Amino acid sequence: MQGHLAIEASGLVKSFDGKRAVDGIDLAVPEGSIYGILGPNGAGKTTTLRMLLGIIEPDAGRRRLLGHDRPLEAARIVGYLPEERGLYPAMTTREAIAFMGALRGLPLEVGRKRAAILLEENGLADYVDKPIKSLSKGMAQTIQLFGTIVHKPKLVVLDEPFSGLDAINQGRLEHLIRDEAAAGTTVIFSTHVIHHAERLCERVAIIAAGRIRFEGLVSEARDRLRPQVRLKARNAEGPWRGSLPAGARHAGDLWQFELPKGGIEPLLRALIDGGAGIEELSIERPGLHDAFVAIAGETAAREMEASEQAELGEAA
Amino acid sequence: MISLFEAAWVIARRDFVASVFSRTFILFLLAPLILIGFAIFFGTMTDAQDEAAAQPTVAVVADSATSAALAAARERLAAGTSEHSFPVLRNVAPAERVAVQAQQLLADEHGAYSAVLSGTLDRPVLTGPIKADGFVARRLQLLIDDARRTAALRAAAAVPPPAALERVVTGQAAGNLRMIRRGVARGGQALIFTITMLLATLLLSTLVEEKTNKVIEVLAAAVPLDAVFLGKLLAMLGISLVGLALWGGTIVLTSTFFLRIFQDWVTLPDVAPAIGWPIWIVLLILYYTTNFMLLGALFLGIGAQASNIREIQTISMPVTLLQLLVFLLAFSVVGRSSGALAMTAYVVPFSSPLAMIAFAAQSEKLWPHLLALAWQAIWVVLIIRVSARLFKATVLKSAAGGSFFSFRGRKRARAAA
Repeated sequence: MQGHLAIEASGLVKSFDGKRAVDGIDLAVPEGSIYGILGPNGAGKTTTLRMLLGIIEPDAGRRRLLGHDRPLEAARIVGYLPEERGLYPAMTTREAIAFMGALRGLPLEVGRKRAAILLEENGLADYVDKPIKSLSKGMAQTIQLFGTIVHKPKLVVLDEPFSGLDAINQGRLEHLIRDEAAAGTTVIFSTHVIHHAERLCERVAIIAAGRIRFEGLVSEARDRLRPQVRLKARNAEGPWRGSLPAGARHAGDLWQFELPKGGIEPLLRALIDGGAGIEELSIERPGLHDAFVAIAGETAAREMEASEQAELGEAA
Repeated sequence: MISLFEAAWVIARRDFVASVFSRTFILFLLAPLILIGFAIFFGTMTDAQDEAAAQPTVAVVADSATSAALAAARERLAAGTSEHSFPVLRNVAPAERVAVQAQQLLADEHGAYSAVLSGTLDRPVLTGPIKADGFVARRLQLLIDDARRTAALRAAAAVPPPAALERVVTGQAAGNLRMIRRGVARGGQALIFTITMLLATLLLSTLVEEKTNKVIEVLAAAVPLDAVFLGKLLAMLGISLVGLALWGGTIVLTSTFFLRIFQDWVTLPDVAPAIGWPIWIVLLILYYTTNFMLLGALFLGIGAQASNIREIQTISMPVTLLQLLVFLLAFSVVGRSSGALAMTAYVVPFSSPLAMIAFAAQSEKLWPHLLALAWQAIWVVLIIRVSARLFKATVLKSAAGGSFFSFRGRKRARAAA
């Protein structure tokens, strides 16, 4: 993977007044991938992204952005959507997008043309000369996202991009992220909503309390847990119960347990021979949420859910 | 990375366009006009009232010959000085008991007399709350003396004709030249100071917009903060120069076409600053620029630490006082080119532009200006760099946006981190 990394970070540390917000984070984001940083609010995601982009300097550790040790040197080929969205309210959408491109070295005229194209392609041509202050929050976020990609960056960094968006705009954003990645752009985003990461990312970093708990492919995270077996048996008692692994739990006649290491065939045989009377049986691969709970722990998972609920409330 | 100046240009252009093409800019341009209009309106009103109230009126209770002699003396002397140099004389026919009449006149609110003059030119009596060395007593004494002297000369038929004053016109006298050049020096200082004070303090609040709109993080991730600060400074300088050009242009056009002051194009006064009018005017613009940039960079840096308008308002007064102190320092050294105080004014970066424009009016040396401009430019760069670093250290490091001025804000920032 070395030599093809859009972002490399090792041992990043940042403290604020003695409290460690980020505590030795390592990252390796391959070029052209969609990479998610998962973690509850306050886990250190934003601080990590800010350090990667050079907005704040790390207390220790080093980072390389598209081969540059100083992040601002790569500014022309990086796009950034901060967690706290910011646009000049009096600017028109076209000017706002072009201005953000100009900050990254895109000539203003080119930026204006591309802004018009972006708006048109996304069915927002009517908004081209509308001032930002007249837009809804979700729409303004979309405009800022266009500003983040108008200069065709090689790396797009999105901090909680789905936060505050309604379902339509979330769908639009997912579509845009996939399009960018398909065009060879590396996309890294932070989120506390697991299903976004699960749907979009090839690789994830799970972060809690300022530390990386897992870094790798989404499939690797899920493979850390054994597949789950769900069984509905007609007979409540019988010799078949002896074939269930330790830790099997049930609610009524529905049983759930990890697939034994021997695989499904010996289990099936034992259940049939033991007279379970199988009504339903399914084997489910664990989701990223299950993997997150296993990796980051119940507390972090509860914090994630709380963050998600808060965001849902905000979006509503 | 885009270069510092390229990035500063992007920021400056945005700020400039946002300010100049806004409705509030029209108000900004009209502000001096409104100010002047109000000043003229109230000035005229109060002048008319003040004049009447300020010039004392004296009732002359005397026979017609005495009254006429006094009136003639007043007319003669006021013609050579000014109408305001003497009390207004109002003739009142004498009553039987002049002392009682004088008391009545002094109590008469409608007449509003300051004193009553009675008797004759040889035995005048002045009644009223009059001090011996006060304005009314001394000026009436002059009038009485002149009236008596004129009467005596006329009686002796010895009134001399007025002497013809022969004028030998030369170049400037040293004393006169020095006085005028000091005036030019102080005028230049006052002009730079006033305009800077009006405009540079706007820079205190200019970064609040970015902090309020959360745009600052977008900027900080894309360009060096030095470029953000420099860009904002250049934008405000540009806006101020547009304002000055429009105001100056309006004054010149008005003068040319309506007042016809500049009928044969602009002619500068005969008495030039030591360095000459053209160079002095160029230096005036350059020193205005450096003065604006120096104070603007400082104000921008201070203002960037504030997180809201309330904090900006709180720091506005000390900042204005600082400007005033700098102005007084530069003002006090006009006419002195050496000495510790003068050197302090030349070297302290914030007073240097003001002190140097005064120097230009009084000395023909050009090289000190090149040195001073370079020195001031170095300080502009230094202040921008320090301000940007301070901003990054104290404001950007915290998600909660802790303010340098607010202990509670800083506490909140720590808690959020």
